[in-house]
Amino acid sequence: MGMDEDILKDFLAESKENLERLDQEFVELEQEPDNAELIKSIFRTIHTIKGTSGFFGFTTLEGIAHFAEDILSKLRDGVAEVNEEITTVLLQSVDYIKAILASLEQTGKEPDDVVYLDFIVDLRNFAEKVANGSVGAANDTAPAEASESNTGGENASKAEPVQETSEEKAADQPEDTKQEDNKEPETTGKAEEQKTAPKAPPAPKPKKRAPTTPAPTTHLTETHVRVDVHLLDKLMNLAGELVLSRNRMAQIATQLDDADLLTANQRMSLVVTELQEQIMKTRMQPVGNVFNKFPRIVRDLAKSAQKQIQLQIKGAETELDRSIIEVIKDPLTHMVRNSIDHGVEPPDIRVQKGKPQVGTLIMKAYHEGGQVIIEIQDDGAGMDPEKLREKAVEKGIISPDQATSLSDREALMLIFQPGFSTAEKVTNISGRGVGMDVVKTNIEKLGGTVELKSEVNVGTTVRIKIPLTLAIIPALIVRAAGQRYAIPQVNLVELVCLSPEAQKKDVQVIGNSEFYRLRGQILPLVRLKKILGAGMELASEQDEEDNKASMNIVVLNSGDRQFGLVVDAINDSEEIVVKPLGKHLKHISCYAGTTLMGDGRVALILDIVGIASTLNLRAEDSLHETKMVAESRTAEEERQFLLLFSVDPSECFALPLALVNRLDKIPASRIEHVGSREVVQYRGKSMPVIRLENYLPISPLSEQEEYHLIVFNFNNKDVAFLVSQIEDSVDIVIDVEEETFRQEGILGSAIIKDKTTLFIDIYQILQMYDPDFLRQEQDGSPINARILMAEDSAFYRNLLHSYISAEGYEIITAEDGQQAWELLQTEEVDLVMTDIEMPRMNGLKLAQKIRGNAKFEKLPILAVTSLSGEEDKNKAMEAGVDEYLPKLDRDQVLTAVKNLLKSREIKEAA
Amino acid sequence: MARQTETLPAEAEPGVIDIRSADTIQFSTFYFGRHLFGLPIEEIIEINRALDVTPVPLAPDYVEGVVNLRGQILTAIHLGRRIGLSIEEEDDSRYNNVITGNREEPICLIVQRIGDVMAIPRNQIEPPPDLISGVDVEYVRNVCKLPENLLIILDGKALEAPPNAN
Repeated sequence: MGMDEDILKDFLAESKENLERLDQEFVELEQEPDNAELIKSIFRTIHTIKGTSGFFGFTTLEGIAHFAEDILSKLRDGVAEVNEEITTVLLQSVDYIKAILASLEQTGKEPDDVVYLDFIVDLRNFAEKVANGSVGAANDTAPAEASESNTGGENASKAEPVQETSEEKAADQPEDTKQEDNKEPETTGKAEEQKTAPKAPPAPKPKKRAPTTPAPTTHLTETHVRVDVHLLDKLMNLAGELVLSRNRMAQIATQLDDADLLTANQRMSLVVTELQEQIMKTRMQPVGNVFNKFPRIVRDLAKSAQKQIQLQIKGAETELDRSIIEVIKDPLTHMVRNSIDHGVEPPDIRVQKGKPQVGTLIMKAYHEGGQVIIEIQDDGAGMDPEKLREKAVEKGIISPDQATSLSDREALMLIFQPGFSTAEKVTNISGRGVGMDVVKTNIEKLGGTVELKSEVNVGTTVRIKIPLTLAIIPALIVRAAGQRYAIPQVNLVELVCLSPEAQKKDVQVIGNSEFYRLRGQILPLVRLKKILGAGMELASEQDEEDNKASMNIVVLNSGDRQFGLVVDAINDSEEIVVKPLGKHLKHISCYAGTTLMGDGRVALILDIVGIASTLNLRAEDSLHETKMVAESRTAEEERQFLLLFSVDPSECFALPLALVNRLDKIPASRIEHVGSREVVQYRGKSMPVIRLENYLPISPLSEQEEYHLIVFNFNNKDVAFLVSQIEDSVDIVIDVEEETFRQEGILGSAIIKDKTTLFIDIYQILQMYDPDFLRQEQDGSPINARILMAEDSAFYRNLLHSYISAEGYEIITAEDGQQAWELLQTEEVDLVMTDIEMPRMNGLKLAQKIRGNAKFEKLPILAVTSLSGEEDKNKAMEAGVDEYLPKLDRDQVLTAVKNLLKSREIKEAA
Repeated sequence: MARQTETLPAEAEPGVIDIRSADTIQFSTFYFGRHLFGLPIEEIIEINRALDVTPVPLAPDYVEGVVNLRGQILTAIHLGRRIGLSIEEEDDSRYNNVITGNREEPICLIVQRIGDVMAIPRNQIEPPPDLISGVDVEYVRNVCKLPENLLIILDGKALEAPPNAN
């Protein structure tokens, strides 16, 4: 018996759950009458109840379930169609079933009430009508008619009161029945009411027994409670407040250092954390709530696009904050549409390509590192970066020049540009030109990111990363101008602290922008104080002061670009509660909101994407270029980050940006004459300024009120070129032509931005200006050494040649490794200097070859390169290179040459 | 997101004034510079002494910053700058905070000294003159001539209207 009871309990619990779902499903069914899945699901539920009740011998229950199942089977088999009337009757059945279950739970018996039997009779009649097609088969049976013809007369009077009592009049008695019998129109009205409120608990019992017993239906105990979302939000807010108070308490406890207080506080801390987590959970919903809408969407879209697509959903149980679920619904729909419309090919084409006829679309959700990842993956045609480039140029989103310089990965990102659509034709599903850019913006608003992977003919995967919740986020607290600001952790890449010396070395100033060289990449710097500076007058002395202290750089990622935010101090990371800004402040793009700090003061949360967009145009260009530099490092051709400037507006000059230390402006009045030379007071020292026209046959600098200075630093000495205008900084693959302008001080020429541009040989100019300027302290190094230099780029060859020969070394040049190797056989050399990337034989091969030959065992090899990755360096070292340096760092290269030659001497002496 | 409106004191019964006297309106008054200002008492949520204001760079000039009122973050509006009082009329005395506006998103008005609550007979309330020295009349709803000075009755709606509405 005990076992039976257990089974009964299980049966009741399971049925109750199923019935709850049934209500929902019926409503959905009414909205989507041809959803076969839904009908099947309802059918299964009823079928289970029928089966189990048969097992227990609950005949009334079994009867109701049986006839309900009958009707459902007709719907399932397509004999009848769902209409309001059928839904109503089925819902009534569910209500009766619930009432019986309630009675079973309470008394262990079925209620012995004649209403149930009456209902079974009605139900049977109705089921027959459905079966022989008089209900449901015709689409337009009016509800009024239906209710008359089917449940009409005596039957209606039996069914309706159930309804009535359940809704409001538990105590009202059979008079109702009579009344209603006479008022047919009202009856239909009630029937309608029932449809709109199908969840009203049925109370067939109280109808007869109301005077004596309380409604038993109330005992259909619920494990779930419906709670107003606003109440949850409020709880969440309060929990947030509690967290703040706790933080404050923790601070005080630490200050007081009282053991009891600390213990008590720790305990409270635990509880609060737990409380916060639990309240957070109340806001969590499985992502399945959104995913579940997609089978239908996919089916419909596939049908209208005449494609065959199978949808797989994985990880639907992954939980996400309710508010996020709301927001991702649209972006997800959009991406799914895209996949179906643009991604998956029509069946015939798929077959041609040797793919299964049915395309697969996978929607996947999972947790990773405190974030939720949602992937939408199709096995469709994929995206062709080439096509995207063409399209983008055609649409005028980018210029042809830009298009060629985009990497494939960047080309894919083009689809996130406003006004971009890849569909060859605009269809009614997607391709209306609004799209992925909106998706991206929406996701980024949530603090999420979108990534794209695509391979032609293999498929496309869109990966969305979103935070679990928006209400509480981890953030880094920084200080600027005496105030605290919070930076959301999602945007944070790394923190860098620079000593004043390091700043001098690695921070460059170009115009008004600063850049920092972070592991070979050029990172634009933004001073938080300056961004927010409008309201706080910044004295220039303070600027100077800044240069003396160490510099805190917060490296941030805003979507696809990185930049460094310079702050006064970095405090700590904290979990912060996000609160919105008032309407007077909402429009300021630099802020994402506010938060309360542990001490009760308000701190502003920075909107990193907003800050990135307020950067001025030049900085933004540079940002773009910075990225290019980073990516082109591995590209085969050598790129140049060049500074373009002019002395006379008609002539354009270029210099490698890496040689430039900073750019500045000075008024003409500050130029002083010392002997025949000109100097300016610069950073507490007098710095020589050089007029290029004195050394080159070019148009002279016209009189200006203000000049631009291009400042270099060699041997720890500053020197500057005086020019009229800084034109631009560009990142290009240069093709330097050396012949046209063969001239001392000119490395060659190239066409940049439709203008003939001369490349200045800064070393030669300096040599002409002062032969001793570049000379390093002499300490008996063999000045007559011969250096073999292998370098394929004429530009670099000239540049290196220029500054190495200026030191007094003799140089033999080779255009590639092969030539260098041949020269080695005949020429006597003391050192080999080689580029890494070269045609025919690259620097690594050359080094290996040299090391492989006993004759050259002690020959020092210096690799100079534009590749600056650690990996590249290791490879070079493995190949036998002694020293590995960036070719533009003259001082380092010269020092290395000197040291290598010296150590060779020692070795040979040994 | 629902705000913590319940942390604010209960809303004044709208009928209260009428019960006391149908002919007078009660005003909460405060000073800025030499001017005396008033707001109908039912528009005031609470008055607070010198809440800690966190400045918000890039904000409109009249926004002094943001303040924390028991977990709710309010925009602090500098009365003087909002209504265009010339700067020299400010002094560096401690400021007070008048919390006013709608309960979903009140504002915190930064004022100088807090004055008395005054019951003003309706018939003494006049429309604003075309010009009040140093005050932008856009924010003035009415005035009332008192024996020693002029009570400037502010327009609460205009004060809290966001920038684009102006």
